[in-house]
Amino acid sequence: MNRKNPNHPNQYLPKTDRRKFLKGAATSAAALAISPTSKAQEPSAYSASYTAPSYQQMQRDAGMVIPPMPNTRTVVRPGSDLMVQALKDMGIEFVASNPGSSFEGIQESIANYGDPPNHLPEFITALHEESSVDMANGYAKSEGKPMAAMLHGTLGIQHASMSIFQAYHTGTPMLLLVGRDAGFIQAHTAADMAAMCRSFTKWDAQPTTLEECIDTLHEAYRQAVTPPCGPVMVVIDIELQKEEAQNFQLPPFLPAVIEGIDTATARDIARRLLNANNPRLETGPFRTPEGVESAVQLAELVGASTSTTAAAASMGFPQRHPLCGPGSDTNYDFVLGLEAASPHITLKRPTVNSLTAERDEMNIGFGSLQEDYVPNPPGAEPTPMQEGQQASQGTLLNIDAQASIPIIISELSRLITPAQQRMINERKRQYASANREAFLTALAEAVEEKKRGWDLSPISTARLYAELWPLIMDEDWCLASPSNFSGGHHRQLWEHNKPYSFLGTQGAGGMGYGLGASVGAALAARSRDRFVVNVQCDGDLNYAPGALWTAAHHELPMLAVMHNNRAWHQEYMFVQYLAGVRGRGTERGHIGCVLRDPFIDYSKMAESYGVASEGPIEDPSLLAAALNRGVESVKAGKPYLIDAITQPR
Amino acid sequence: MRRPVIGTISFLLGSIAASMGQTQELESVIGDATSGAQLYYDHGCHGCHGYSGYGRQDLNNTGSPWLTNEEVFRAFLRARGNEAPILPSTAMPNYPKNSLSDEMARDIYAYIRSMPDNRPETDDIPTLRTILEAAEQREFSKGREN
Repeated sequence: MNRKNPNHPNQYLPKTDRRKFLKGAATSAAALAISPTSKAQEPSAYSASYTAPSYQQMQRDAGMVIPPMPNTRTVVRPGSDLMVQALKDMGIEFVASNPGSSFEGIQESIANYGDPPNHLPEFITALHEESSVDMANGYAKSEGKPMAAMLHGTLGIQHASMSIFQAYHTGTPMLLLVGRDAGFIQAHTAADMAAMCRSFTKWDAQPTTLEECIDTLHEAYRQAVTPPCGPVMVVIDIELQKEEAQNFQLPPFLPAVIEGIDTATARDIARRLLNANNPRLETGPFRTPEGVESAVQLAELVGASTSTTAAAASMGFPQRHPLCGPGSDTNYDFVLGLEAASPHITLKRPTVNSLTAERDEMNIGFGSLQEDYVPNPPGAEPTPMQEGQQASQGTLLNIDAQASIPIIISELSRLITPAQQRMINERKRQYASANREAFLTALAEAVEEKKRGWDLSPISTARLYAELWPLIMDEDWCLASPSNFSGGHHRQLWEHNKPYSFLGTQGAGGMGYGLGASVGAALAARSRDRFVVNVQCDGDLNYAPGALWTAAHHELPMLAVMHNNRAWHQEYMFVQYLAGVRGRGTERGHIGCVLRDPFIDYSKMAESYGVASEGPIEDPSLLAAALNRGVESVKAGKPYLIDAITQPR
Repeated sequence: MRRPVIGTISFLLGSIAASMGQTQELESVIGDATSGAQLYYDHGCHGCHGYSGYGRQDLNNTGSPWLTNEEVFRAFLRARGNEAPILPSTAMPNYPKNSLSDEMARDIYAYIRSMPDNRPETDDIPTLRTILEAAEQREFSKGREN
């Protein structure tokens, strides 16, 4: 009988009999490896009061000890095989991880399960858990569905916590699988492992049987993709991974059913759209590419001009769609908000902050310190309204817009008359012309602005984005890195027409995200004949550069172009300002903010990780040719890095 | 403590008002631009204004009244001594006399005035021409294709 978890009465702790078995085996191994002297000096390996890893344990972890031959047991159908099959059934393409003994069962199954051996999900070798989770973040943002990252016990969770924190703030769905081995190294385990970041995950579970584990994996996926979307964590005991499944029948995976509005409300919205002379759709990021397609279908059906967040985040309405823009008249008589605020009716899915009261066990607070703070997906307007509120800002319905649009379309199809259809067709023609004109006018204005300092060295950030665009505009591309610190010039110069054109910001503003997220997006891109552009800030790269090796190792189509201003320039400006107002002068404001003496050679760094590279390039006239070489390399499936020395901003 | 600041700002506003009513004729420069270039770098002006005057805030060809003459420029440098917001700011720092002398300010001013105009004609930049022409020609197509 399992023991109840004292912290969570509805959870059970693993059985102890197998624990004793493993404990005995590991202790025997240690005893074989150490001298009598050292053995005498070391405390008992698994003393309950001794939590730091012992010498013997570290020796074993470092591969210095030959594992013991445990009592023979035949496992022909290990539990972890079924776990991998569950991941396959859910469509998980990748599991990113650096190895850890607490999930060696799953890792071995990913490598060897099936005949021929498994290749889906593919094990993606990361060099840091922070990178693993960032990869899952970039993948999910570009595809609108989760991938998995695997974390080694307490250590892996803490390494990954920063990236999980960011994914929480963008509401990115992902599956975090945590290995747990209570009998091995005490410091690597915990009774309630997921508690370490429960405040910033959506959902977690620690199953105690294999059957429960499979159900939990299925439920975890559904939880991750159901609004409020977010990272979910499943802690999987090593014993469940290694046990014999015998004749256990894997249950089928049942996808999530996401609720939309009721038909009466949908009919009311449909009538308003049809009766309006100048309807408008305000759109924010949807959950998946299917949501974008539905929004396009709705806009075309009613002939509504439409806003977009495609230049600010993924899953936005296509920027060059003929109906995307202000239309020919900005006096809209009915505005429907679809994940974006409207003065009339807004449909907006709940965000993870709605779970704070339930899950924030650490009492972090998450924005409650600031009135009306809502950690929306990037690009979406913060919405301080409450559900059902009738005010000048309109009515907010806290429900998923993506799931609601098909219901509205269904009602529209029933209600629309031939006369209305003729009027809509005429309106669409007018709007297309007006929107095209608006786009081209804005582009011409942007070009005039972006040419400032065109020929100067170091290279202007605007020129960097401008030179990239002609090389990729006819390709299938994805800009995966955040762009605020490099000027965000793509927003004015490029066209964001795909759900994955631009993946938006870090989420919580944390550094170290850009490369990992780009590698994750490149995982998605590799099999989809697409490539990823990563305008990589130098400060950001230095947190976890090992993801470059992952890109090389897995042959990922990622073009990294350094925005190498050799500093953390945002902070440089902050310190300068403060020094100035304190009357102390700004000459020493660079201390702690700049990356010089020596400069970091990112081309050599990339080369050492196996990524083709060139640079540093300071002369802007050399940039276009270098970018062209980079594009050709990634189109051939090889990552490439260009170290461009740039203006600070 | 507030009075000197208010006085300075009043003076600046007066100068600007006077300059706004006139053609933006820049007065002659007497500082040393070479020395100013080094000071510009040492004091971190490039952080916001770029190494050559183009950046988050341009200095070149902006028509800014703060750059009308060295006196107005210097007064602008010294105008924010008591402004210390709690939140981090990327606003223009204050440059008191004890950290940036009048002579140093004059040299920086000379350097700023020597900065080249680098906004080529759009027609002379093939990349930008391509961007504009492509946008004219490109049509949106549905689905995931370009």
